[in-house]
Amino acid sequence: MKLLRDLLPIAAFALFLWFLPDLLRAFAGRASVSYLSLVTNGVGLAILALSWDILARTGQLSLAHAAFYGTGAYVTAIMARHLDLPLWIGIPAGGLVAVILALGVGAVTLRLRGIYFAIATLAFTEVLKSVFRHLPTPFAGGAAGINVEPLFRPVFDAATMERWEIAFFRNEGYFLLYALLLIITILLSLMTRRSRLRQAFTAIRTNEEVAAIMGVHPARMKLLAFALSSFAVGMLGAVHAHRVGSVVPEGSFSVETTVLALVTPIFGGLYTTLGPIVGAGMLAGIEETLKRNLADGYLIGYGVVLILSILFLPKGLVGTTRAWWSRRQSKSMDTAEEGSA
Amino acid sequence: MDPSLILQAIVSGVLASGLYALVSVGLALAIGVIGIVNFAHGEFFMIGAFLTYTLFVVFGIDPVLAVLFVAPALFLLGAVLYRSTIQHVLSAPELNQMLLTFGIGIVLQNLALLIWGGDPVSIAGIEYRSVGYRFAGISVGLVSLVSFAVSLALVIGLNLALTRTRLGRAMRAVAQNRTGAALVGLEVNRVYLVAFALSALLAGIGGVMIAVIQSPTPTIGLAFTLKAFSITVLAGLGNIRGILAASLVVALSESLVATLVPNGGTLSNAVFFAIIFLALVWRSRRTV
Repeated sequence: MKLLRDLLPIAAFALFLWFLPDLLRAFAGRASVSYLSLVTNGVGLAILALSWDILARTGQLSLAHAAFYGTGAYVTAIMARHLDLPLWIGIPAGGLVAVILALGVGAVTLRLRGIYFAIATLAFTEVLKSVFRHLPTPFAGGAAGINVEPLFRPVFDAATMERWEIAFFRNEGYFLLYALLLIITILLSLMTRRSRLRQAFTAIRTNEEVAAIMGVHPARMKLLAFALSSFAVGMLGAVHAHRVGSVVPEGSFSVETTVLALVTPIFGGLYTTLGPIVGAGMLAGIEETLKRNLADGYLIGYGVVLILSILFLPKGLVGTTRAWWSRRQSKSMDTAEEGSA
Repeated sequence: MDPSLILQAIVSGVLASGLYALVSVGLALAIGVIGIVNFAHGEFFMIGAFLTYTLFVVFGIDPVLAVLFVAPALFLLGAVLYRSTIQHVLSAPELNQMLLTFGIGIVLQNLALLIWGGDPVSIAGIEYRSVGYRFAGISVGLVSLVSFAVSLALVIGLNLALTRTRLGRAMRAVAQNRTGAALVGLEVNRVYLVAFALSALLAGIGGVMIAVIQSPTPTIGLAFTLKAFSITVLAGLGNIRGILAASLVVALSESLVATLVPNGGTLSNAVFFAIIFLALVWRSRRTV
């Protein structure tokens, strides 16, 4: 019953995502090409945020999300360039290598907490960026990066298609891949919310020593959270590399990715599944508006949202709304009891 | 390898360490007195540099005089930021404080990108910028020499001020025991405000120097936050005295890597971040 309560909305959401491109095409025509790419960005943001939040549930505030994103991107780019395999294999491979990397970093930084963990993970990202820049140029492209083949090449058929529909079908392909990744991430996130992992993660976040005494294995749990958190981001980085057609050290390992990954769940509501998704929807809209008006520096919107969230909405949109709702519920229950007495 | 090259690297490293110490000492002040790890610290440094640049390009004010405008401006910026934001999270969880300053850093950096664009800016056409001296095959720039001396003077001056002046003693008292300091009649919040503003001011003066020495971009802030952080970690969090030695270690290792390793210019940053990473991991293994 409980399972059904979770799965029904997800199934409905998946169906909605599946039909969204056709809906957009039916209503917006040619403009749907750019709408679709906008929605794809929003879905990407939700994946970043939701996967980051999984690790945050153990109390570890990671600034290494860009590292896993960039690793996924580079793995698929290097595979596409040097191996004669179907292109799509690079995507799970990117996710897998990101997980291996996450387990490595996770194991080394297990004992670091709070600010030290944050700084160490940020430094790690910078080191990785340099490593990829200094790999042999024929292998990984050096500072200039590598071009990546697109995953989708719609064939133009003059009899049935209009010109712009090539772009539409290409964007539709990436959108559906992103949507698939989002559903996977939602399932992973819900899995840690609905299983006993939730208690384990919360216990570690609240007090690691007590958690260890109560029989939770902090090291094992943190590594698990790290692995779950990095898998989807690695794949997202890989798909994104195919989507934009290139990887460069500066772009793939940009601090920007990390900023987006942490601001969104804080704004939407930490430690929830709905929060990061709601936050991503709203922030993607804000970002697009800012990007249209500002050349550089659109990230300022994220900075402002982060400051305001910490000062005024420490529980995020979803957390605050839920607290308000349960207060209202209990209040109306009180008055009901008084009435019956 | 040419021994004079190594000597040159050592001299450059020592000279660079002054600026590092100046920027780090501000961060250490904020950590030590207020207990706030300020992720926006490097942005104060960056803003100091770009104010200097604007004063020079728009009003033709020499960077040496610009300090007189930049230092109070940064003090004010620090004070305003403290009053409007930091003050309200003093008793919040450490992560919230950190995220708040991270947000401030993002805003300041992108504000700078909006105002000045993303390209490096340089203060061209000052005579003393190209003045240098040579002894025994080692060249030393006048600007680096002066900035080293001034930074050193400021760091030592801050140390003296903390022990000799009323305000300095108040800061140390508040740092040691907030409640106790309040009980004996110190206005804790005001001391915090001054400490934070002073920390921004010191970073700003460092910014004036970097504007003359290099051609900065609005994105240098984060790198300097991390450098300053690693220096304060090496020195021991909140320990202002160890800053000079730690700065020397970091600056020397950077300069030696840049000289001795082929293609080391871009690699020195990686080495530097590797040092932070390893230092943190090593410390965590040792203490537990």
